[in-house]
Amino acid sequence: MAKVRGLLVWIASLAVLLLLPGLFDSVLSLSILNQMGITIIFALSYNMLLGQGGMLSFGHAVYFGLGGFMAVHSLNYIEAEVFSLPVILLPLIGGLFGLLFAVFIGSFSTRRAGTVFAMISLGIGEMIAACSLIFVGFFGGEEGISGDRTMAPEFFGFDFAQDLEVYYLIAGWVFVATLLMYLFSQTPAGRIANAVRDNPERAEFIGYSQRMVRFISFCGAGFFAGVAGGLFAINYEILTEENLNAITSGNVLLMTYIGGTGVFVGPIVGAVLLTLLQTVLSNYTELWQLYVGLLFVATVMFMPAGLTGVLMIHTVAWKNGRLRQLILPYITVGVPAFVLLCAIVGLLEMLQFYRHGVVGEHEMTLFFVSVDTSSVWPWIVTLLIAATAGYLVKALTPRLLSAWASANAPLERAKT
Amino acid sequence: MNSILSLTGVSKSFDATEIIRSVDLDIIEGERHAIIGPNGAGKSTLYNLITGRYSVSQGSIRLRGRELAGLQPFEINRLGLARSFQVTNIFSNLTVFENIRCALLWSMQYRYSFWHLVRKQKQLNEESEQVLQQIGLGARKDMLAGVLTYAEQRSLELGITIAGGADVILLDEPVAGMSHTEADQSVELIKRISEGKTLVVVEHDMGVVFNLADRISVLVYGEIIATGVPEEIRNDIKVQEAYLGSLDEQDA
Repeated sequence: MAKVRGLLVWIASLAVLLLLPGLFDSVLSLSILNQMGITIIFALSYNMLLGQGGMLSFGHAVYFGLGGFMAVHSLNYIEAEVFSLPVILLPLIGGLFGLLFAVFIGSFSTRRAGTVFAMISLGIGEMIAACSLIFVGFFGGEEGISGDRTMAPEFFGFDFAQDLEVYYLIAGWVFVATLLMYLFSQTPAGRIANAVRDNPERAEFIGYSQRMVRFISFCGAGFFAGVAGGLFAINYEILTEENLNAITSGNVLLMTYIGGTGVFVGPIVGAVLLTLLQTVLSNYTELWQLYVGLLFVATVMFMPAGLTGVLMIHTVAWKNGRLRQLILPYITVGVPAFVLLCAIVGLLEMLQFYRHGVVGEHEMTLFFVSVDTSSVWPWIVTLLIAATAGYLVKALTPRLLSAWASANAPLERAKT
Repeated sequence: MNSILSLTGVSKSFDATEIIRSVDLDIIEGERHAIIGPNGAGKSTLYNLITGRYSVSQGSIRLRGRELAGLQPFEINRLGLARSFQVTNIFSNLTVFENIRCALLWSMQYRYSFWHLVRKQKQLNEESEQVLQQIGLGARKDMLAGVLTYAEQRSLELGITIAGGADVILLDEPVAGMSHTEADQSVELIKRISEGKTLVVVEHDMGVVFNLADRISVLVYGEIIATGVPEEIRNDIKVQEAYLGSLDEQDA
């Protein structure tokens, strides 16, 4: 039964991947989908370290970037007819070089987890980013290295000049890479990685070298990050220093954490959400990065298990058939919480417009309402709304908590 | 008298402080051997030396004639020596079943394989189930280990220790913190799982020690002052002075 259900999930995912371009066929949405696919593989590879192996890396973009650079160099070699390779296999080159570099770095960085590992990853990340401006021949300096994917030999008549063709190439790799990473988590090496994450010392007393276990996960993560880098090279046909620096490393950490590190699909959710914020929200507001930062802080403070983790803690109430008890409390707290959120966003946007808007222009559109930021009234009204909503949230939260406790109560009895 | 684990002249110093002083100890194959001694005598340190957690300052530790000094804990474990911990030391975010299955992986030759799917390994899963039944946690298999009760966690601790099939088992205060009933059940469990194996146990509870052990060694201030069958230890003047005597003084 569970086996059939598992298979159905994979078939459904494949169907979604194939049908998505039919629903979103504009140039913009295709480019967003392509970016999402690349980011999904990257975030999943990051979670092999963080969620499954207990390694907090601040330099995972190194493997993504190096894989990407090797792929774009390969494109240029293919164009110069040094060797020949269909473009569809290019991510494999990225992956192999990501793996190679991970073998080298992992051989000394995986000795310990925790702070030591984190600091080494940060150091390596800074070092490679610095190298990219020194070794201009390989990294192309500030302009980066560009290539042309259409110069590669055609693959069954596809030359990948169309975005749609690139979409299917990326979708195929997303499916294969996700499947492989999932299967890895189900092997002895993947399971024991979880054990080492929980308790590295005990793992040594059941016969496993914690260092070796981490090293294997680290190599896998390097490989798939390189695959994502290779896809990036195909999609954008250019790589720059930006693709392997600390900002990219930070981004993949943010999205993996926000999506949830404890569930396999967590990073996928995080990658989709953050890509949407980056591409769609950035069209509407210049403050989008601030919102991403606030989302991250809120995740760390209120839901350390991430978005998927929050969903997962409802399974107990759901199994007990008590999920319905939570609907009303969720709405009574959710509505004022949403209003509070909107009011805060409104204040931030008004402040941004007031400080940085066009000189002499006082009218802005906020949530479909025209607002004059030079007048004091919009500020007072928004503050009042925020205060009222904030008070309601605070006053109603205890009721939500007690509803939560009673919805989960049967487990407590079953446990003892 | 076939000794399976033998310590000769083992010493351990932390900086200038000598915690273990020239310990000689022979564990005979198939026996149940208890190590007792007052708090701070160095019992846990001795375990940490045998299992490779600490390195030996001097002397030699041999398992079936093979020198253990300088080996890593996982290498010593692979030679067939397993230990439990005084403070519960389990994989709290894994299920109870997964805890046991992980403990079986190496001994069943899966090593670092990333080409087997664990759920398809019939024998692995069956043996994990068997260990779960043996330690009485069959009904808890899908729960996270971290939410078990204390006594259940102690059973799981034992299960992880024995799952790999090691034939020399070192237990560190297996019944500490348990109620009498729980301790009795635990002793029965220990007797069952150690059948046909060599068992070394550090324990404070004298009832448990005299019930369980074939032989007893007394460790005081890092030195073994006596080794013998329970009757001998009970009647040993030195032991009474150094150990049991001090208890009497406390009582008085």
